[in-house]
Amino acid sequence: MATAADTKWSVSDIEPKIGCRIETDKQTLLSGERRDEIRDLMEKRGVIVFPEIGLTDDEQVAFTKTLGKMGLDTGEKKDTVYPITMDERINPNASYIKGAFFWHLDGTMADKPILASIMSSRKLSAEGGDTEFCNTYAAYEALDDDLKEQIEGLKVIHAMWRSQLYYNPEPTYEEITRWQSIGQNEIPLVWTHRSGRKSLVLGNTAMQIVGMDLPESEALLVRLREWATRPEFVLRHKWALGDMVIWDNTGTLHRATPYDHASGRLMHRTKLEGEEAFA
Amino acid sequence: MSVATKVELKAEDIKPDVGTRILNSKEELLSGEIADEVRDVLTRRGVLVFPEIDFTDEEQVAFTKTLGNFAPEGDHGERVHPITLDVEKNPETAEYLKGSLYWHLDGVRNETPILASLLSCRVPSPKGTGNTGVANTYAAYEALPQEKKDEIDGLRVIHAPWASMFYYDPEPNIQKLEGFMRAGEAELPLVWKHQDGRKSLVLGCTAHHVVGMDHTESAKLLHGLRDWATQDRFVYSHEWSAGDMIIWDNTGTLHRAEDYDPSCGRYMVRTKLEGEEAFAFE
Repeated sequence: MATAADTKWSVSDIEPKIGCRIETDKQTLLSGERRDEIRDLMEKRGVIVFPEIGLTDDEQVAFTKTLGKMGLDTGEKKDTVYPITMDERINPNASYIKGAFFWHLDGTMADKPILASIMSSRKLSAEGGDTEFCNTYAAYEALDDDLKEQIEGLKVIHAMWRSQLYYNPEPTYEEITRWQSIGQNEIPLVWTHRSGRKSLVLGNTAMQIVGMDLPESEALLVRLREWATRPEFVLRHKWALGDMVIWDNTGTLHRATPYDHASGRLMHRTKLEGEEAFA
Repeated sequence: MSVATKVELKAEDIKPDVGTRILNSKEELLSGEIADEVRDVLTRRGVLVFPEIDFTDEEQVAFTKTLGNFAPEGDHGERVHPITLDVEKNPETAEYLKGSLYWHLDGVRNETPILASLLSCRVPSPKGTGNTGVANTYAAYEALPQEKKDEIDGLRVIHAPWASMFYYDPEPNIQKLEGFMRAGEAELPLVWKHQDGRKSLVLGCTAHHVVGMDHTESAKLLHGLRDWATQDRFVYSHEWSAGDMIIWDNTGTLHRAEDYDPSCGRYMVRTKLEGEEAFAFE
């Protein structure tokens, strides 16, 4: 019987404040024996890269289930990967994904956002198409005390329609009505997790700080997003075919860098259901 | 004096709700004899087209002055203002282009916005690019259902250049945002009641929110009305040939540039007419 000592397992940091790389093999991942360590690293480092691990769709689903409860969006099929692509023949909702070129976290319309996303590359674009992540725990911790005090307790209205304006600033009435029908959600600017650690909740759905004048609110949201996405908090992952990346959706923001929408770039994603509500 | 020498306006409508082509000669236009008729057609039709009129810079200035008070731009004095992008020499001009691609009117931060812009083409961009679009916001208001008119009459809107910046740079850094914010804001009527009693919609990419309205409702209303006002029936899109000039009534239209390659050498010159009427609430 194989023991932990026999299996391939090597962990190294990527950037000082975000990201680690795990060199391992499929069997180790699928066995679930490193589950707790993976979850712990995910929370501490924000992002874990498994270089060229090459999991199949079924293996990715099985691996996802070793880590927690697999999350499903409405309309997504059970126990399967979700295609992330700009090709509408593969994903008819591709246009909604255009918001992904701007910093965001997933699930700001829900009380309990997904815990993590797991994404594997299936086809690469010739240029661009990197994924960037920033560590919103580290960004919060590095704020000066005055600003921490100033933002403590603030609530932000997040709305899907705001993020759609980022790529389509002149929507038709029909478009904005459809976007707005998705609703909005009031969540804290600073999320105090059960662990006691705090992270910033920002991104392209952040519409307005409750009770604050609109220009002042815009300026504070821009200032904090710029801070949280400073190079010291950011990891830029340049994909190789077969790479798999997990990120802690509750302590990071992410975005894709621009790529040719006709390039066929295809990612397969699974998700872990949220375990903790915004608090 | 012989009445036979009196110049008559030669005009033909382009679309039922917007745009008129003026077919008088250069000399007839420069005589100033039909200036009143030109101004009248301008405010009724939103945009006038003078196909291949081929004004020189001096002639454009002279013609502008027949219509009203010449509004000098920057340090150009009583001269035409060149509009051209040289992204290599002048990278910020690329930003100028991005800002002009969305529906807007000029001078929202002035109490009295300019009356009109006169734009001439020296070198066009390739066909199918770089058109100038003009939407008639008088006609768009008039065509609204009565209940919509009742709903929006009297509403006030905050306009700000920083709001328009988000259209092309939704993730600015704070320095840039604060720079735009220093340019200020203005509270304007959503429905502008002009001195002659006609009403137009004041919209565009500078329109940030309706005062006192929930931000979501406000965004739906402002985007919805802009969508309404810029539907095909109210819009004239001018495809440029060298020598063309157009005038649009800035107080009763929205305008935009349609996208073009900033390095294509498109070269336009512009003059402006000073505003004569302040934004007015009901």
